[in-house]
Amino acid sequence: MIARALAAAATLAVAAVLACAPAVAAQESGALPQGGSYVSAPDPTLGTASVGLWYRAPSDGYGSVSQPGLMRIAATAASSSKLVSGRSLSETVRDLGGRLYIEVFPDIVGVHAVVPAASARRVAAAMTAAYFAPSIDADALKSAQRDAAVLSVEQRYSPDETLHDLLFAQIFSGRPASVSPVPAGVPAITAIQLDAVTAFAKRAFRSSNALLVLTGNVDSSVLSGVTDGTGPGAMDQPVNSTLAGSPAPLTTATGAVTGLGLAWTGPPISDERSATALDFISDYLFRDDTGIVSRALESDDATFVDGQFVTLHDAGVMFVTISGKNTDAARKIVDAELTKMQTPLDAERFNAAREAFLYHLAGQTETPLEQGENLGWYSAEGNAAYAPFSSSGAYVQAARSLDPEFVASVARRYLSRPIVVQLGTVKPPKGSTS
Amino acid sequence: MPRPFVAALAAALCMLPAIARADAPPMGVQRAGNVTIVRQTDPAALLVGVEYVVPAGLDRQTLTQSGLSALTAESILRTPVAGVPLADAIAAKGGSVHWNVEANDVRFYVESLPEDAPAVTALFLSAVAKPDFSAATVDAARASVDRKFAARQQAALQVGLDMLAREASPSANSGSPELGSPASLAQLSANDAAAFYARNYRRDGSVVSAAGRVDALPAGWGESFANALPPGSGKAIFVHLPALEGSSRQFVTHRDIGAPWLIAQYPAPPIDSKDFGAMLVLSAFIQRTLLDVSGMPSVVSATIGSRAIGSIYSFDGQPPRLTLFVNGEIGNPTQAFETALQLVNVLSQTRLHGSIDQFKAAAAGDFAGDADRLESRASLGGLFAGEGASPDFLNRTLAAIAATTPDDVRRVAKKYLNDPAIALVLPRDNS
Repeated sequence: MIARALAAAATLAVAAVLACAPAVAAQESGALPQGGSYVSAPDPTLGTASVGLWYRAPSDGYGSVSQPGLMRIAATAASSSKLVSGRSLSETVRDLGGRLYIEVFPDIVGVHAVVPAASARRVAAAMTAAYFAPSIDADALKSAQRDAAVLSVEQRYSPDETLHDLLFAQIFSGRPASVSPVPAGVPAITAIQLDAVTAFAKRAFRSSNALLVLTGNVDSSVLSGVTDGTGPGAMDQPVNSTLAGSPAPLTTATGAVTGLGLAWTGPPISDERSATALDFISDYLFRDDTGIVSRALESDDATFVDGQFVTLHDAGVMFVTISGKNTDAARKIVDAELTKMQTPLDAERFNAAREAFLYHLAGQTETPLEQGENLGWYSAEGNAAYAPFSSSGAYVQAARSLDPEFVASVARRYLSRPIVVQLGTVKPPKGSTS
Repeated sequence: MPRPFVAALAAALCMLPAIARADAPPMGVQRAGNVTIVRQTDPAALLVGVEYVVPAGLDRQTLTQSGLSALTAESILRTPVAGVPLADAIAAKGGSVHWNVEANDVRFYVESLPEDAPAVTALFLSAVAKPDFSAATVDAARASVDRKFAARQQAALQVGLDMLAREASPSANSGSPELGSPASLAQLSANDAAAFYARNYRRDGSVVSAAGRVDALPAGWGESFANALPPGSGKAIFVHLPALEGSSRQFVTHRDIGAPWLIAQYPAPPIDSKDFGAMLVLSAFIQRTLLDVSGMPSVVSATIGSRAIGSIYSFDGQPPRLTLFVNGEIGNPTQAFETALQLVNVLSQTRLHGSIDQFKAAAAGDFAGDADRLESRASLGGLFAGEGASPDFLNRTLAAIAATTPDDVRRVAKKYLNDPAIALVLPRDNS
């Protein structure tokens, strides 16, 4: 099997960042002067800084009519709107030698700029101005629509991302998790109008709903760059979606690529030990190169398997995607290994796997961007202290507390009967569910 | 350093807020015999990593031994330690180990959680000092290298770079494929690997570079690495092949890919050249301009466009190279490629007008961003510490970029960007 290289902006990338911090350096948190909060985790030995903003909001809008992709369009348009300087946030980051990332999920959105360290204050000022006081015009909307169109095409040809959205649509009956955060094609993109984008941005991106995340080579002077804000107030509550009562065990769908997806409803983020156990299972079975399933398929360079637990406020989702030539054979391996997980591993094997898990997690929060995404994601999902990169150490404690019997019990409880989506390029016969 | 240069450098740094000077981490270099030991301590890091560079690369194997350096390195990772292969034993202790074969050396990188560092480094050092070259171990290593080779063949850009490496290298063997090929690997025996190890795994000229939570390494770790191998040095083999006849410097191959890749390669300066900073700026300029002219600029940075077109300055390569590449998935690759080559021609003929601050900032951002990972930091520290220089790769590079002028960019373009070697990786007919 060959590891599939997912783009940094892939829908699942942040969800996969499960990293822990065995000895995370001191972190600071507090309130921003004009509303909102911040968390800062400095490392002065690095050459870059990451400045990020995270929000809770429904990706398809607040209204009664779903507008798939609205949050993506609004977040991108805000960063391409001209600021007082005459340059947009996107242009400012580029001028300063940085890189801008916008990651949209059904219930949260994160915007990160990774820049040379000396530019962190300037970018923090530009980013908070762009989002706390959005001034989106037609040109900015056009730029956002163009970006969304490219992303939409990319997603169409990614089995993992397509299956992810299809599986979420089966597991959740309610918005926004049942709706793809990426608009599906040009008609959906152009249907999103400027007034809707502006209204959404003003409500979702207000400072009181924001968490500013500063990582890498940052110091207290960066915060002094934040002068905009909409005033004090509370961050919105986490956005939950209604679970489907009795989802169909097997559905078929058509797309530009083929693949097979399996998903299971998992625990909420508040059940830290169970959620960590599912992270452990994902790492033990599906991690590239070292996972049991990955190694079983290592001689098959035409079949790809990805598996991970997505930690969400309520409820989390474990899913596995299989694509390539030999999906049936890979499915058998996946099923067999998941069944084995329902029986406790022997102590020696378990201890080695848990130590490897802790190492892998630490390796996934090496860079300022990864650290910022980690802190932002878990905070936005409603359990900041449980962020693996948080200096609270809660995640590491949960991981260290795992034992074979508990992991097996979690596998039995959550991973028995999957929801399955079969993705094909040929339209399914009339009468089948799709 | 001449005073006017220092003044100019200081002025440039003050004028350019985008180019930061990072707090240099507690770092140092020491010599143990002919071994260089570098340390960069980062108390905020979650891991500690050690790169161990041994002069046992491609230039130590003959053309008929293609892949032997890789096979030997992989055999070390497959050496049984406490009943399991070294790589598995290290994974079970909370760490990882891997290797890369380069023209002149092989680079092992060992990483772990701080609390596991003593056990992990001990495992690695025991295997590298006494590897197992039994038939079973070498067979397992060969199968592993075969799989790596197959994976590499699916990466079109890498296929093109491999073809061009052969053309660029001063000695035919040092430009040979890093992993050999399944056919060449099949010819190599356990005895070949053992003999390669005995001849080339010597301590002289090796580099040990640690980064991150270096404080967690066991006392005397530098000396332990430095003394892991027997004294002395191996000897490079120079393999001269007559130059290919004909005027074309184009290489063409076919793979199972969806769209063609067009790759052009030029010589480039090493890190200790006065042209280093200007080449970084030039590379950033080309990268950004290509994205602009191909209609690929976007609000966010990581897009299909940013991955499909660009430039790579391999300043750590032997020899260093500048590579331009275009992936046909972005639309009209021929037009984009021609634009790239024309751009390079123009740069070598014409002085850039106006400020180049944006490109200097881009060069600084790209370099610093690529140096965030611990493995990169260990590797760059070792590279920059060569010849007794400071391992402070970040501030040395930022200073070199800050000091670059438009005239430098033109001079460097004119000096290096002539007569590219070109590789075309095309889809097979049935792809």
